[in-house]
Amino acid sequence: MRAVGRWLGERWITIGSPLTVLVLWEWASATGLLRAVFFPRPSTIAGHLRDLAMDGTLWGHVATTLVRIGWSFSLAAILGVAIGLAMGLWRRLREGLDPVFAVIYPIPSVLFLPLVSFLVPPGEIALVVTTAVTSFFLIAFTTTHGVRQIDRLVVEAARHYGARGWRLFAAVLLPGALPFIFTGLRLGLGFALIVVVAVEIVSASRGLGALLWLSWQVLKVEDMYATFFVIALLGALLSYGLAALRARLLPWVPDAGDR
Amino acid sequence: MALDRISLQAHAGEFLCIVGPSGSGKSTLLRVLAGLHRQSAGDVHIQADRPGTPLTAMVFQEHALLPWRTVRDNVTFGLENRGVGRAEREARAREMLAMVGLARFAQHYPHQLSGGMKQRVGIARALANDPEVLLMDEPLAALDAQTRTIMQEELLRIWATLGKTVVYVTHSLEEALLLGDRVVLLTARPGRVSQIYPVDLGRPRALEVRASPAYGALLEKIWSRLREEVVRAMEADRGVDPEAIGG
Repeated sequence: MRAVGRWLGERWITIGSPLTVLVLWEWASATGLLRAVFFPRPSTIAGHLRDLAMDGTLWGHVATTLVRIGWSFSLAAILGVAIGLAMGLWRRLREGLDPVFAVIYPIPSVLFLPLVSFLVPPGEIALVVTTAVTSFFLIAFTTTHGVRQIDRLVVEAARHYGARGWRLFAAVLLPGALPFIFTGLRLGLGFALIVVVAVEIVSASRGLGALLWLSWQVLKVEDMYATFFVIALLGALLSYGLAALRARLLPWVPDAGDR
Repeated sequence: MALDRISLQAHAGEFLCIVGPSGSGKSTLLRVLAGLHRQSAGDVHIQADRPGTPLTAMVFQEHALLPWRTVRDNVTFGLENRGVGRAEREARAREMLAMVGLARFAQHYPHQLSGGMKQRVGIARALANDPEVLLMDEPLAALDAQTRTIMQEELLRIWATLGKTVVYVTHSLEEALLLGDRVVLLTARPGRVSQIYPVDLGRPRALEVRASPAYGALLEKIWSRLREEVVRAMEADRGVDPEAIGG
């Protein structure tokens, strides 16, 4: 009981701030300060969310989106970490790829959909690849930086004590870059969710983005907000999940226990 | 050029201290001995009687521990790289950590330790490799004055126990006189051997030696020579007129 009390004592702002927003919103919609047609009361939205969950509609869309994120994120993570590490280790490769990445990276991800559709079969594969693009760059950038920022003195000491070649990589360079790789993965996962929803709005008939867009088009505003909420919750869960994983896997990072 | 025509010999089991003004190449000399820096000319000879053990092991100024390894795994790192078996590695780590007084911290990570403790791990890591020559590059320079004093006593004790040959770079003449058998004074850049002073202050030595007249006399003698070099180094660095710096 005391542990719960202390937990609440430390996090009351974190928990209290979204609650306050919800209470204010409820009050504003109920009194007519906000037009309930566009801003239905949160309690009404919750009812619709329950209905969507009960009749199974929601779960199908959630599963579709999660599977897409899973594929996209895996693709971005594997390629991003591998290429990021290679760029961190070899200056020539870094100098060659940096300008290419600098040009492609700022392009809004959704715009890759038509381009990707020329290269791979349109449909599910094009959607997954498009979603992976921005995440890939984020993960590759942070991984490269992760290798580059390793204390040279630590590397020198490791060499002095006999670490060479593969051993130097596996025991020194990779663990040294890992905190940054995790940051990249967390950013990449967040962006995978953002982009997958955008791509689903543009081009899919299933998935949370599609559900959101459909609800808006037929003016089921409550369903639209319910979908919003599910997407936000999903993003928070994925992000915190990865942060918890990081704290478990990297016990040597001083701030890893903060979250 | 950092160093010029250095000719120096350390005897087996000797504690050899190297002092000199900043930029005299003290650290470069140590890095050459460690094989971390290739000298443009000249040779380093280390007599090795035991095959399989490394010639040198270095204690770095900023400890340079691997943050992702526990204290124990930092100490065993060199042994691991040389393919020494697990049981022997761990026995070795236990022994060395006990020697530096960190037996209870084997499973801690470096970020959980104080500066002095990290440097103890650095010393245990070097000693675990059982090198012919132990190299120490201003190992106590980053510590606060009180911790440094404690560590100096610890070093004296460890050296007396193990009898290793030590080459010790420091910018503190007091430290060199407390620890060393001989003090090598390097000139301002490019560093050359200016003078080698035997430290005849007896052994075992403790902090109390600082109160003895012999210590004071030797300190004064070396300092007057070191001072010249320091002023010369400042002059070379900044183009300052040495006469303008009081004295």
